[in-house]
Amino acid sequence: MRVVLSIAAKDLRQRLRDRSAWVIVFVAPVLIAGLMALAFGGDTEFRADIGVVDLDHGPAAAGLTQVLTGPELRGTVRVREYGDAATARRAVDSGRAHAAIVVPAGFTRALRGGSPSPVVVLDSVDHGLEAQLARAVAESYVAQVNADRLSVATAVAAGVPQEDVPRLAARAALLRLPEQVRPEGMADDPLEVISYFGPSMGIFFVLFTVGFGARGYFAEQQQGTLDRIAAAPVGRGALLLGKSLSTFGYSLAGLATVTLVSWLALGARWADPVGVAVLGLGMAVAVVCLTALVIAVARTERQAEGLASVVVFGLALAGGNFVFASGTSFMHRLALFTPNGWALRGFTDLGTGVRGWAAVGAPLLGIAGFCAAVTAVTVLLLRLRRTP
Amino acid sequence: MNDAAPQPVLDCAHLVRRFGDRTAVDDVSLRIAPGETYGLLGPNGAGKTTAIRMVCGLLRPDAGTVRVAGLPVSTAAGPAKRLIGFVPQEVALYPDLSVRENLRFFGRLYRLPRRRLEARVAEVLDLIGLTARARDRVDSLSGGMRRRLNIGAGLVHAPTLLVLDEPTVGVDPQSRHAILESVTRFGEQGMAVLYTTHYMEEAERLCDRVGIIDRGRLIAEGTPRELVSLVAERDRVRLTAVGDLDAFARACRRFTRVEGAARGGDRDDVVEVVVKDARSLLPELLDLAHRQGVHVRSVEIDEPDLETVFLHLTGTALRE
Ligand SMILES: Nc1ncnc2c1ncn2[C@@H]1O[C@H](COP(=O)(O)OP(=O)(O)OP(=O)(O)O)[C@@H](O)[C@H]1O
Ligand SMILES: [Mg+2]
Repeated sequence: MRVVLSIAAKDLRQRLRDRSAWVIVFVAPVLIAGLMALAFGGDTEFRADIGVVDLDHGPAAAGLTQVLTGPELRGTVRVREYGDAATARRAVDSGRAHAAIVVPAGFTRALRGGSPSPVVVLDSVDHGLEAQLARAVAESYVAQVNADRLSVATAVAAGVPQEDVPRLAARAALLRLPEQVRPEGMADDPLEVISYFGPSMGIFFVLFTVGFGARGYFAEQQQGTLDRIAAAPVGRGALLLGKSLSTFGYSLAGLATVTLVSWLALGARWADPVGVAVLGLGMAVAVVCLTALVIAVARTERQAEGLASVVVFGLALAGGNFVFASGTSFMHRLALFTPNGWALRGFTDLGTGVRGWAAVGAPLLGIAGFCAAVTAVTVLLLRLRRTP
Repeated sequence: MNDAAPQPVLDCAHLVRRFGDRTAVDDVSLRIAPGETYGLLGPNGAGKTTAIRMVCGLLRPDAGTVRVAGLPVSTAAGPAKRLIGFVPQEVALYPDLSVRENLRFFGRLYRLPRRRLEARVAEVLDLIGLTARARDRVDSLSGGMRRRLNIGAGLVHAPTLLVLDEPTVGVDPQSRHAILESVTRFGEQGMAVLYTTHYMEEAERLCDRVGIIDRGRLIAEGTPRELVSLVAERDRVRLTAVGDLDAFARACRRFTRVEGAARGGDRDDVVEVVVKDARSLLPELLDLAHRQGVHVRSVEIDEPDLETVFLHLTGTALRE
């Protein structure tokens, strides 16, 4: 254990002597996050203008409007009604509405049986977060309606007279909807820009640690110091652990700095400090796994450097570090393949008042999945090319 | 060996290592007794570094075993490695750490208790003459100082066997002298030393025993005196000349009474020839030189040395 700590301490000492490493992990993210907070102003509140196109004119569609204007979303959502989908589309494109939900004709009737046409959400790239909200509301509403269809169908099968079915369906829709539609992660609080960009920039710059770690490894190989360590009574495990520990510690310190400065000096707000810490830990573990992967793939310091850059920018772009909430639904889905995308999702939730497991549970699982996949690939690669 | 001999500090048996279809080390066996300084002498690419890497557990032999104080390096790697001090051929240090931090780090890898570590670091600093520069970063040291620190880093844990891979390559004469002095002292202090070099003067001066390695094979072994006695009957003829000396050396080797001939020694304009009886062959050599258009300036006939041994055993020079 002492040897592991010695290796970690030595690595950290070297890292801290490298001024560019300081700037990248500690100074740059704080500066950029601060600038962004400044640029976006102190009190950018989140408010979504969501259009509704009711082609159904039945009680089920009315239920949706009720949800949107209900107490949970009051202050967050402003509803605008449009006569047809084309008008709504134009409104969304021109930015008058941020997103719109189109309830198809015959939606209520479909509750009686038959297959309903889908509820459509119109969105625009410029208002990703609002679109996400609209989608969340629509999805949970449809899920609820489907549950109702099932219960109505059950009632019909049980012998309820045909003429009672519409009434029954409408009742079913109205009965339980309000408490059901509280899309997870979309709570009452407005999301402060800095609560997103603080961690976002912290994570982006901490990803650079992958490059430092991998390059450090190849530098040691080239310098011959790795041989010296291997000639000492130090197991491969201890070496690996020591190096991982330093990368982990360094990443964690970087993230902690950015979140603390964002919180204390720049006004970021998260509902749950433990949640913030947990997301930071998860991200630091992901950085360790990525470093190991780059070391396993690359053969020289040069290659490691290039590969690490690809990883950093690829993940940052896919994970949405540069956009305030992920844009299109494609981007949104892409972010689910990145640890930083998951972490940012967690930070968004924490920034809008969601706490505990509800905010960090899914992100943690997502990050864990990513780490597991990366580690599996790393181990496989190392197996393939082991030649002592 | 007889039973009364103490357990060797290093015992390599039939080491083989191949890289692809090239056999870098081919059935090398050697033993080093406590306090003995053993020189592995051979030209570039002979397999010295490869052999040393197997001794230090950095490279797995394809065949054969390495034991350090009776402990096999392959299975009891930890305890065996603790006894070895490894000084790689190239300087292997952290340039961004200070001299003292480097020594401390490498000492910690051997789990020295804190007190002892500090004491040893101070001793080693003194030994390599870098006490005054202890706080300086390695990248601010001169090349010779780095070489000395490179050796020091292998000494902190007071190894039983010190393994040095060509520690004097690219070193100015003064530092070289200092390095050789300290190696002599290690031997006197009872440390066993395995020393590789392609400078036969070093091997002759430092080593209790020398093994000559060429193309992966250990072709002769003994004290420098024993080795030289292998060629006691021979003369070393040094011809200082101008012309196509490579072609001349090749032509010399065609004489059956010539055992070896090569450009070299320490100068460019010299051809060395090992022969049984120089006086009777000399006229023919000079005649050959004349026919090849090589202009001979001077001829010396010397006592054989390790270089002669090498020339005798391989037909070519230690340094090309
Ligand atoms: N990792 C490797 N892969 C392939 N071939 C190698 C490797 N290491 C050494 N060799 C080959 O093995 C042979 C012996 O090399 P080695 O480095 O042991 O020689 P050496 O005696 O230390 O030479 P030098 O005096 O130049 O340091 C050489 O032909 C070299 O090309
Ligand atoms: Mg070598």
